[in-house]
Amino acid sequence: MVGACAPRAGSGRPDGGTLLSTRDLTVCYENNEALHPTSLDFAAGQVTALIGPSGCGKSTFLRCLNLMNREIPKCKIGGEVLYHGRNINTRKENLFELRKSIGMVFQQPTPFRKSIRDNILFAPKRHGLVSGKEDCDALVEQSLRAGALWDEVRDKLDESAYALSGGQQQRLCIARTLAMHPDVVLFDEPCSALDPISTFTVEETIRSIAESGICAIIVTHNMEQATRVSDNTTFFYVGDMVETGPTKRLFSQPQDKRLQDYLTGRFG
Amino acid sequence: MANFDMSAHVRRINRQDRIATAVLVGIAAFVMLMLAAIVIYILVAGAPKLFDLNFLTGKPQQFKEGGGIGPELFNSFYLLILTLLISVPLSLGAAIFLSQYAPDNAATAVAKTAIETLSSLPSVVVGLFGFLFFVLYMGWGFSIIAGAVALTMFNIPILVRVIQQALEDVPRSQRDAGLAMGLTRWETTIHVLLPAAMPAIVTGVVLSAGRVFGEAAALIFTAGQSAPVLDFTCLDFSSPSCPWNVFRPAETLAVHIWKINSEGVVPDLTAISNGTAAVLMVCILAFNILARVIGKYLERRLTSE
Repeated sequence: MVGACAPRAGSGRPDGGTLLSTRDLTVCYENNEALHPTSLDFAAGQVTALIGPSGCGKSTFLRCLNLMNREIPKCKIGGEVLYHGRNINTRKENLFELRKSIGMVFQQPTPFRKSIRDNILFAPKRHGLVSGKEDCDALVEQSLRAGALWDEVRDKLDESAYALSGGQQQRLCIARTLAMHPDVVLFDEPCSALDPISTFTVEETIRSIAESGICAIIVTHNMEQATRVSDNTTFFYVGDMVETGPTKRLFSQPQDKRLQDYLTGRFG
Repeated sequence: MANFDMSAHVRRINRQDRIATAVLVGIAAFVMLMLAAIVIYILVAGAPKLFDLNFLTGKPQQFKEGGGIGPELFNSFYLLILTLLISVPLSLGAAIFLSQYAPDNAATAVAKTAIETLSSLPSVVVGLFGFLFFVLYMGWGFSIIAGAVALTMFNIPILVRVIQQALEDVPRSQRDAGLAMGLTRWETTIHVLLPAAMPAIVTGVVLSAGRVFGEAAALIFTAGQSAPVLDFTCLDFSSPSCPWNVFRPAETLAVHIWKINSEGVVPDLTAISNGTAAVLMVCILAFNILARVIGKYLERRLTSE
């Protein structure tokens, strides 16, 4: 993980690395605009942290990137979400194909009530990505290794995922997402239900999947966590995207008054 | 001062705790005692007939002693299975629709209210409706199918509510997780929500099956009160003596108890009525245990726990 420090110094990558961007993205619940127009870019191989006090719109923003907000009644997403340069915020977009390549990990671990093996294989099988026992076994091992869980569960793949600890369950959910070979993974406060040691392991996992070329975006209310895992950080406040930039710069020289106040603990 | 108050407070809440526990244990013990008394009374009263093979398999008598309940026993199970075959898939579909697909609008609200109202409909009303509509208007006569459809109407509202509740009790995050992996709502419901809700669904189906098995009022007017002698070698599906013929009249155990007590003239009617009640209860008990075993097995298969 130490080697990760070098590329973390800045987001000086060329624009060619941009995988996902938003242009004037807004979210309305009924008549209330929960997210004001936001334009951001996310590059492959980098971790971006979205920070801000509760109710600032960071989770709302994250849930637009795979259009999960569409599952909430009366929620409208405006503006554009460009994925590989193509606007996906259209009625014609195939959500099932889209969410195969933009994975998501939730705040609470959400393993299915199935065996560890079936948790990994369930979605890839439904999408027709694997067939045959050898392929399946290979995918299970590869995904669990990527989720840093293989050594702990290799002997009990057919046992229930519910028997795992909270941290293990969360890593299983990460592994399960990686099994579909996504190029973007969204994390919605993935460590807020975990103890410090599990948190550390999950953070390492997030770093290592970013190093494998995946674009990782993580919502967190924990500023230390943002400094530990992210290359870039974006600060939201009451539905506004306030400031964005390389994590080190953002925390050492915040430009906006609201961010300065937040960092010094005056609110939030 | 503070210390003194504290210990008095602790003593008081300890005393409250002990009193509350004692009251609750008392209530529970009273209920259990009543139940046990009823069960033991029925079993003891019916014991002479319960283990009498001639009673269990014999045909009922109109005027003489020594009638059996063979056809009624078979009819009860046949009717139960037919009812469940019709009502479980329908309720499952309705519950899945209401909990996962139905938009939150006036039509859905009306449907939900209608189901709640139907679930408290007296069974005799269901029976009379079944008599007018299925028996007379559709021309099915007193028949198993009329009985099964009437019981379905009586069963569906409760099953829909139980299954819907079971599905809604699965945390929303499970559904979101499925959708976030690019699964359709249908795949998420069938492969994620249903297995997680299965124990509650099985319990609901078992409870409703017990109600159906013991139901009399709705059947008196639909499946009828006569039990033709059954010939298990008969495969002519239009013959009233063919057990599988769904258009023959079929008296069930519960209806038999009602009929014998209200208009029976056999000399041993008390013994027959007691025996039938005991058989009915043992059947429901056996059915519950069986369903639980199946439910546990299904759960293990589906969840690898």
